[in-house]
Amino acid sequence: MVDNPIVDTPTPSVSAIRGGMLGRILHLWRMYAALDLAFIVADLKLACLYIVADTISSVALVTGMLLLSERFAGIGPWSQLQVIFMLGYATTVSGVLNTFFGYNVLMISRRIGRGQLDHTLVQPQPILVSLLTEGFTPFSGSATLFPGIGLLIWAITGLALPITAGWLALFVINILSSIASVLAFSFLWGSLAFWAPRAAEEISSSATQLLDQLKSFPLDGLAPLLLGGLMTVVPVGVVAWSPCRSLLGIDQAPYASWITPLIAVLMSLIAIFVFRKGMHNYERTGSQRYSSLGHRG
Amino acid sequence: MIGDLAKYWKTAAMAATGYLGDSPLFVIDYLVRLLRVIVLLAIWRLLLVGRAPIEGLTLPVVLTYTLIAEVFGPQLSPRTNLEGAFWEGSIVGRMLQPLNLFAQFTAEAAGKWLFELCVFSVPLLLLAPLLGVQPLPASVPAAGLFVLSLLLGISVGLALDFVFGALLVLLQLPLWAISQIRNALTTLLSGALLPLALLPPAVGALFAWLPFASMASAPLQIYIGKGHTLALLALQIGWSLALWPLAHWLWQLGRERMVSYGG
Repeated sequence: MVDNPIVDTPTPSVSAIRGGMLGRILHLWRMYAALDLAFIVADLKLACLYIVADTISSVALVTGMLLLSERFAGIGPWSQLQVIFMLGYATTVSGVLNTFFGYNVLMISRRIGRGQLDHTLVQPQPILVSLLTEGFTPFSGSATLFPGIGLLIWAITGLALPITAGWLALFVINILSSIASVLAFSFLWGSLAFWAPRAAEEISSSATQLLDQLKSFPLDGLAPLLLGGLMTVVPVGVVAWSPCRSLLGIDQAPYASWITPLIAVLMSLIAIFVFRKGMHNYERTGSQRYSSLGHRG
Repeated sequence: MIGDLAKYWKTAAMAATGYLGDSPLFVIDYLVRLLRVIVLLAIWRLLLVGRAPIEGLTLPVVLTYTLIAEVFGPQLSPRTNLEGAFWEGSIVGRMLQPLNLFAQFTAEAAGKWLFELCVFSVPLLLLAPLLGVQPLPASVPAAGLFVLSLLLGISVGLALDFVFGALLVLLQLPLWAISQIRNALTTLLSGALLPLALLPPAVGALFAWLPFASMASAPLQIYIGKGHTLALLALQIGWSLALWPLAHWLWQLGRERMVSYGG
């Protein structure tokens, strides 16, 4: 008999559920990790190809800027190693997003536009718990994470940064804020799919693609108005540029480290508000273009 | 002959108008491209202002290169809807149509280009003075040779598209994984995003020999009046002559092995 990770994973006990949301999330992460491992083992060649594709594309996205900084010994106020730190940070943000929000959780408009949100809504748990756990793919989705961490280690070693507990705390807060900003941006645009399921089905991928394409560029030379727009309306600047400026001491203003967390909180609140509005609309209309495609079943 | 062209023109016209009817949110893709070119122009100003020319490239020339790369973006990295047809399973229907398969997909891509030319490329060219960029080619002969080189680049790009498509079938590769790799490599290797002359010299010289560079770097170099025009055109012709027979051969080989059941 073939092991089935769904069947073999014990049903959560009452005490586990009583243990709170965190316990439930940890339990589900473990289960989805088992499922992800099963996916890899089921077809090793296919899984390897996906992992290689993720690695190549994430590395290629930052290689252009890496080569440019090599040729010009840095970019503007950024030294070569500081550029590498920023590229590592940006790649790590993408890596964490791919690891924790795979299976179209990050690309939420696909689920909404295809009517697949019903899969989530019928589950006997809060939608937040489902969205935080369903996309957890620690084996197949983490290919982007390792090049990012590698670049960060390379840069931190070369820059000889004074790593203190305070700096590490700011690093973690900023990286979580960058992740939250990308997620909020994707959900904000993706909520359009509640009202325009066909037209907006791919809008989350367009939105994240926008951030992906621009995240590795230092934005120092931009006009203030455009820079303001890229920090708020289209938050490219908070994916890597702004947090790295503060973490590396390029921007020494005392509030610099808190710009990204502040934007992340604001963006998340707006995204939650719009998503809830969309959900209310969905309660009335449902989806007429249900497709089971793209959901693990 | 004219009747044949009319059939493909219909395909192109349907693809062009389908853009509007399918999704009004297509404008976001153009917003991405506009933002990308503005950011790139800012980066070049940051890097090159006050510097001596690098490999003969001055700041204004690099700005022109960057703007024109975005204006002709889809033509410098030509892709048909072949992958989409594999994914949807509609490739089966396409093969039943009494039209040449390559020409069908090419006509469809050309239709989309016509639409993009009107709603993005021409407006971006008109915006050039506001962006502080001089958009004109280096000379009148350079403009003529650019058109020739662009057509050759499109030929190389389309041939590569069909080669990759045939390999997906023959080797039973996962479509999105290969597409992802190809997108990433094309952006980096073609010189459409960053001029190859501004990369470390050994890297730039290596990339220049690859077919990806014949798609974008060659026409763009001719537009700004840099590089050895004849050598660039010869390389493009060489890649075109090598890749089209390969594409035909691979499709002949893989035609019977195609299995499609929809996406």
